[in-house]
Amino acid sequence: MEGHQRNLSLYDRFNARVVGVSVDDVTTLKFWAKSLDLTFPLLSNVTGFLGASFGVGPSPEIKGFPVFSRRTVIIDTKGIIRYAKDGSPDFKDILLFLKKMNKEGGKP
Amino acid sequence: MRRNVPMLLCLASVVMMLSACATPGTTQKPYKFSQQGTIIWEDEFEFKPPPSEWRIIQVEVGGEFGFGFLKVDSGPFPSQSMFVYDEEPFGCSSELGERGSEFFRRYLWSTAMIADMQILEKKKVNVLGGEGLAVVAEARDPVKKEKVKSKVVFGKRGDRVVAFYLTQWRPIDGTYDPSAFEIFDRFWGSFRFLKKSFYQTLVEDP
Repeated sequence: MEGHQRNLSLYDRFNARVVGVSVDDVTTLKFWAKSLDLTFPLLSNVTGFLGASFGVGPSPEIKGFPVFSRRTVIIDTKGIIRYAKDGSPDFKDILLFLKKMNKEGGKP
Repeated sequence: MRRNVPMLLCLASVVMMLSACATPGTTQKPYKFSQQGTIIWEDEFEFKPPPSEWRIIQVEVGGEFGFGFLKVDSGPFPSQSMFVYDEEPFGCSSELGERGSEFFRRYLWSTAMIADMQILEKKKVNVLGGEGLAVVAEARDPVKKEKVKSKVVFGKRGDRVVAFYLTQWRPIDGTYDPSAFEIFDRFWGSFRFLKKSFYQTLVEDP
């Protein structure tokens, strides 16, 4: 998330906005955002339905804990998913993709 | 295994230990030596190498730093020194002083040391051709009877803050080795960029 925060001005440049989604509760997310100085929105989705709608489920690597996998999704202005990758965000890849989308006029 | 070596050893699966700087020339390596004896790292960075007892460490993926050097010092565990160049130091601010504050809120977070980090010195320095900030800090863990002294130098690459940092670990009654700090100073003092960063290219190229 710190990486996204560092890149906010670049996201702006490419007409993109970032939103984080987590199964943590609101209070936890508030403290977490404060500890990392995050200024972009974080959505608390404790039931996990939002992640599930993007194909994100409990991590297979961590048994017995409600830890969800990480996925980065880029959605265009028409609501079409244009990019989806699992694991830690590849910020350079994301920025190159956003730049390309912005150039093509398909604003994220 | 004790837990404060982890920043190096737990990364064993992703860290490539290259044998010392004294073996130039192999195409597999991410660096080469210039005729002046400096290291050219991936055609992007140039710097004066430390003596050959310092081993190169490099994080392949998902690490906290790009590359650096490690030396196991004489003396009981955890006597060792390590310094690195980091393109994405902790924190978000592009202002050096603020970034320094953000950085030290998370620096060495995986150890108990963060709870007792004392800033010993903070001063402006010239680094990477511009103004930078150098901070010396020390922390002690009376339970594990260990201590660490660190120097962090923040500088700018384009609009973004980058950092160099040295950590030197010792038993709590051990003596620090100032020569490692001098070698580190030569490292960051000689460091220069040979090309624009990804981020500079991203915003400049059409």
